[in-house]
Amino acid sequence: MQISTEEMPGGITRVVLDGRMDIAGAAAVDLKMNLIAGSAKKLLVDLEKVAFLGSMGLRSIVTPARAVKSRGGKVVLFAPNEMVESVLKTSGIDTLIPVCHDLDAAIAELG
Amino acid sequence: MRATLTLENGMTGPDPSLPEPRLTLKSQLEDLTLVWPWAEAIAARYSVPADTQFAIQLCLEEALSNIIRHGYRGQPDQAISVECAPAGVENENAGELVFTIEDHAPSFDPLAPCSVAAPAPAPVSIQEFPPGGQGIRLMRKFASRLAWQQLANGNRLTLAFAIRGS
Repeated sequence: MQISTEEMPGGITRVVLDGRMDIAGAAAVDLKMNLIAGSAKKLLVDLEKVAFLGSMGLRSIVTPARAVKSRGGKVVLFAPNEMVESVLKTSGIDTLIPVCHDLDAAIAELG
Repeated sequence: MRATLTLENGMTGPDPSLPEPRLTLKSQLEDLTLVWPWAEAIAARYSVPADTQFAIQLCLEEALSNIIRHGYRGQPDQAISVECAPAGVENENAGELVFTIEDHAPSFDPLAPCSVAAPAPAPVSIQEFPPGGQGIRLMRKFASRLAWQQLANGNRLTLAFAIRGS
């Protein structure tokens, strides 16, 4: 599981997850995700390269998102594949964090 | 039973190209890394499409991690077995891959009304979003069929996934 970040115009922090967000993958990114969430105000979580998402992986997204939102920040989930999005919808988290497939729409959500 | 090959000397032996039908794990999360390659080999054997492979992996991870963390309450070195058997795959439209998970943890029915998470709740804020409890909900969504049976000394959970016949 790989994680990288990119600072985008408008104060947006884009965190790119790449790999399988299973139990091992979640453990591999947890610390970095929480560090990023400690300072980001507008967080774009790029899921385009996430091939798998389980409940522990979901938790690794929700916990930092909660931290950002608790400080008045915004979070958006970007470009999950069909099955990953199905996990998001089954959990109900998509009702609390916008899921966008278009980058401009994702940026607009964070604006 | 594992498929066999007839060898050049006329003897028979297990077909090395087929995955073992049974996997034995210890009750530690590290052992879950054994599950994906095994499930992937089974999926390849039965030409399981990618979305069903995802569903199988998801349900196995949720079921097994629940057993390890909640059933055995973190005790390592307890046994868990996972067995896979095809059912009805000779029927082009109605085959299933059936995974049976057995453990010796205290009895727990994940399908009981008190265990089953209701349809996705509608928390009004992310602060109210439950940190756990998603595993059972995900299994119910992604498995074609789920069944639980209490054993004399443990639990048997059956997870079935519809596949096309071979």
